[in-house]
Amino acid sequence: MTTAVSIPRTGGSGGHAAVAARGRRIVKSYGSGETRVTALDQVDVDIARGRFTAIMGPSGSGKSTLMHCLAGLDTVTSGQIWIDETEITGLKDKKLTRLRRDRIGFIFQAFNLLPTLNAIENITLPMDIAGRKPDRAWLDRVVETVGLAGRLKHRPNQLSGGQQQRVAVARALAARPEIIFGDEPTGNLDSRAGAEVLGFLRRSVDELGQTIVMVTHDAVAASYADRVLYLADGRIVDEMHQPTAEMVFERMKHFDARGRVS
Amino acid sequence: MTIFRTSLRNFLSHKGRMALSLIAVLLSVAFVCGTLVFTDTMTATFDKLFATVASDVDVQPKEKDNAQESSIPATLPASLRDRLAGVPGVAKVEPEAATRNITVTTANKQSLSPSSGAPTVGLNWNDSQRKSMDITRGHQPRGADEAVLDSDTAEKHHVKVGDTLRVIAAPGDFRVHVVGLATYKTTNPGAAVLYFDTATAQTKLLGSARAFTGYGLTAASGVSDEQLKKNVTAAIGEGYQVHTAAESKKENKKSLGSVLDVMKYALLGFAGIAVLVGIFLIVNTFSMLVAQRTREIGLMRAIGSSRRQINRSVLAEALLLGVTGSVLGIGGGIGLAVGLMKLMGSLGMKLDTADLTVKATTPLVGLAIGVVVTVLAAYLPARRAGKISPMAALRDAGNPGDAKAGKVRAALGVLLTAAGGGALLLAARSDRASSGSALLGLGILLSLIGLVVVGPLLAGLIVRVISAVVLRVFGPVGRLAERNALRNPRRTGATASALMIGLSLVAALSVVGSSMVASATDQVDRSVGADFIMESGGKGYTPAMLKAARSARYLDHLTEYTEVSARVTTPDGKSGNQRLTAADPSYAQDLRRQTVQGKLSGAYAADAMSVPEGFAKDHKVKLGDRLTVAMTDGSTARLRVNAITSDDTAFDKGAMYLSTATAKRYLPADKMPPPRMLFAKAQDGHAKEAAASLKAAMADYPQIKVRDQSDYKKLIKDQVGQLLNLIYGLLALAVIVAILGVVNTLALSVVERTREIGLMRAIGLSRRQLRRMIRLESVVIALFGALLGLGLGLGWGATAQKLLALQGLDVLEIPWPTLGAVFLGSALVGLAAALAPAFRAGRMNVLKAIATD
Repeated sequence: MTTAVSIPRTGGSGGHAAVAARGRRIVKSYGSGETRVTALDQVDVDIARGRFTAIMGPSGSGKSTLMHCLAGLDTVTSGQIWIDETEITGLKDKKLTRLRRDRIGFIFQAFNLLPTLNAIENITLPMDIAGRKPDRAWLDRVVETVGLAGRLKHRPNQLSGGQQQRVAVARALAARPEIIFGDEPTGNLDSRAGAEVLGFLRRSVDELGQTIVMVTHDAVAASYADRVLYLADGRIVDEMHQPTAEMVFERMKHFDARGRVS
Repeated sequence: MTIFRTSLRNFLSHKGRMALSLIAVLLSVAFVCGTLVFTDTMTATFDKLFATVASDVDVQPKEKDNAQESSIPATLPASLRDRLAGVPGVAKVEPEAATRNITVTTANKQSLSPSSGAPTVGLNWNDSQRKSMDITRGHQPRGADEAVLDSDTAEKHHVKVGDTLRVIAAPGDFRVHVVGLATYKTTNPGAAVLYFDTATAQTKLLGSARAFTGYGLTAASGVSDEQLKKNVTAAIGEGYQVHTAAESKKENKKSLGSVLDVMKYALLGFAGIAVLVGIFLIVNTFSMLVAQRTREIGLMRAIGSSRRQINRSVLAEALLLGVTGSVLGIGGGIGLAVGLMKLMGSLGMKLDTADLTVKATTPLVGLAIGVVVTVLAAYLPARRAGKISPMAALRDAGNPGDAKAGKVRAALGVLLTAAGGGALLLAARSDRASSGSALLGLGILLSLIGLVVVGPLLAGLIVRVISAVVLRVFGPVGRLAERNALRNPRRTGATASALMIGLSLVAALSVVGSSMVASATDQVDRSVGADFIMESGGKGYTPAMLKAARSARYLDHLTEYTEVSARVTTPDGKSGNQRLTAADPSYAQDLRRQTVQGKLSGAYAADAMSVPEGFAKDHKVKLGDRLTVAMTDGSTARLRVNAITSDDTAFDKGAMYLSTATAKRYLPADKMPPPRMLFAKAQDGHAKEAAASLKAAMADYPQIKVRDQSDYKKLIKDQVGQLLNLIYGLLALAVIVAILGVVNTLALSVVERTREIGLMRAIGLSRRQLRRMIRLESVVIALFGALLGLGLGLGWGATAQKLLALQGLDVLEIPWPTLGAVFLGSALVGLAAALAPAFRAGRMNVLKAIATD
């Protein structure tokens, strides 16, 4: 706990917390007794503001669960999670929903868009639900950044997979959430479309100051991040700053080998 | 066999999704079977009853053609009794003196007559009564002032042994003491029955000690009923109606059977509407199941299943649904029949559940309907399933809904609707009732089918309009609801169509009903001059009643009205049986009738009459012609036509008028029918006093209601209202099935959109917003159906009114409050239908929902 307190909450610029989200002693387990499975085992984590964080790990390592818990989609068995100053563990559904709506953005692996709404309607949906007017200039900038200007009136089924994911990125960015969570956002895309989307995520961090957390199992995708957290058996076992695809790949190979041994 | 096993597994694994379709099949089949079991039970019950009451051979007066109405039933001479007793093979003769034309009142002037419309019967107690009745309290009647009442009536009106009753009979009023109570051994058909001793029944009910209404003969042992009948006919001649027990039973059954048949087919008709509505629900269910299983079916095709196999597997599922629903429905139908019997019991007809009759054909019919309807409804979705390409297995299934409904459908729908509209237009303009009603029927059918076909296309337009008005206030959630309602026009169309069917009938009938009331009210205002109308409530006014009525004060005049039977021969040589209206001349003021020629008052002159316009035209009767009028049981008159009345009327259509005095001249006094109605006019400025005086004068006769014009209008309104309520009640079944359809569509949509719901919840849609979205979608679908139904019904109703204007239904009255209530009610129905699906959607786990395939 001493380390947790010693982490500076206030960064250099404008009095904002340097940590966008943090989790302390997060435990997530399923079942009970003999069949008890622990997905997250006393995880402490800090997500730095204005940075692109990737969470990696082999299948079943708990990486998706960690993200779901941090994002308020899943409940924890014990431990605490904060988004900025707000503790979200223990929040009721109503407040949690509002928090997701107003302060968090999501990009899922697939099925990110409502088929009945066109691209721009999908992008502004979280704000519509909240009853807020989108910031026109910001919206234009986001749309331009993701390169969708010509396709805003298209329905999702008229867009390619890459375009659909770009709409999802735009939606996540448009409401200016404090933090965006991506669950394998490029998992369903070919490498070119994937690179495009990841490029946008990178640019939104660099140019727009966005905080992004992304779960991935793809070393190339992880290489776009500022920092990579490695999970295994429900614990954070390693981290890597300014990774390259080769470094990540090597690190993952180590896991695979270990996985085979154990 | 593998196919069947997959079907069975699919069926079982989608139990929840099939549940509402199952209920729809169940309800329809239950209604059909319930109707059959109920009517069969009624028939069986009455068969038993008739079998018990019938004597071996019955001798009764022969029924005459075109007989005069009489307040005393036709009789046979008492002397016939001895002649019958002497016929070989007769063991016993039971004379019967019975009438249905009595009213029995209690000490506080309350009538014992059943409110159900069943008769009040007065008759002599004899041995043959013991076959169906037991005297359970007191003793049989033994003197002129003694009577035995049936125990059900006694119980209902709290009459006890020792009470005094007043009997209002045709020969005169008299009082009796209740000395006993008789209880039915068989089913009580609902009539109120009062027994007297034989002499009292003869003198006080029939007005003659030398007459009976019939004789029941018991055959000596070894003599067959047929043989006895032969012997009797040989002995007394052909002038009587002689029936064996079997013949009586058949006769009774025939007259009752036609009433039961009307009831049966009416109920089956409403069941048919519910079945039709259920089809939409089943079509939707299978369409959605097939859509949800697209990838799975694609995979089956990819690994080698043929189209026919896929097709058959879907149909096999439908078969399972049909069989399960029907079997449950047959059980439900028997339950329904028992319920109906209990209901009839509370109305006075005690049906015994031991007589419950389930014919072998009933379950077969139920099963056939359930299975055929289900398989038929699943046929289109099954065909669509067969057409799914193997490629579907590979595609991602984020389908935004079906492709737009086809152009063929649009063209066909518009064509049918237009043809229907055209037929309705022609019907409205038609000036002949027969061709007009055929056109109306055709128009109704075509416009209904047309709208069902074109419904999915209209959904796009109308849902947008409704949404613009209703949903915009709900902002983005409203817009999402609108999009969801629009995403699958075929489904929305089918769901709304189901609701449309029931509501269109409700709307059409409410328009016709209120037009009937408005037209009649209008006619009363225009043509009724009488201040008071008094129907006799039986077979006419007795002299005592007339005397009482005439004792009322403040009356300008009192008109006696009755009908006489006669054979009328026109100058063209044709003759036919007619009922002539015989009334006092003041009737011309009481009911003002337009004439096309002559003056109405002229018809009441001595030896004069009037004929209606149509009759005059058909028989080329001119003003001043003399018609030969042969009164039944009377002499022949030559009456001069002094007036020709217009056919444009709601009351007394087709009536031929003559004065009471003229009728009496050609009819012996005992054959002159008693007045059936009285009309009275108050002296100027004394309406209130006259009403009070009349009511006081008639207070002893509770069966006679003194009604002023507003009472009379209310009576018409109430009668129409009762009929409409009955029909609405029966249509409720179809509407309930349609509501189940809305629930079904929403529930399946929620399942289908699990991932979307998960996504929306993840990005911040609150539970309340989600539930509201589903509710609004439901409301929009319901309002769409209501709008279609009400619009269609309005068209049908207005056309029917235009057509019926020929029959005097000349005022079109659109019941806006009713229609408005139905529309708003539909919105509520939409809300209610969404309750369960919305609740379920709200409870979904966000993560699981997103992860759903």
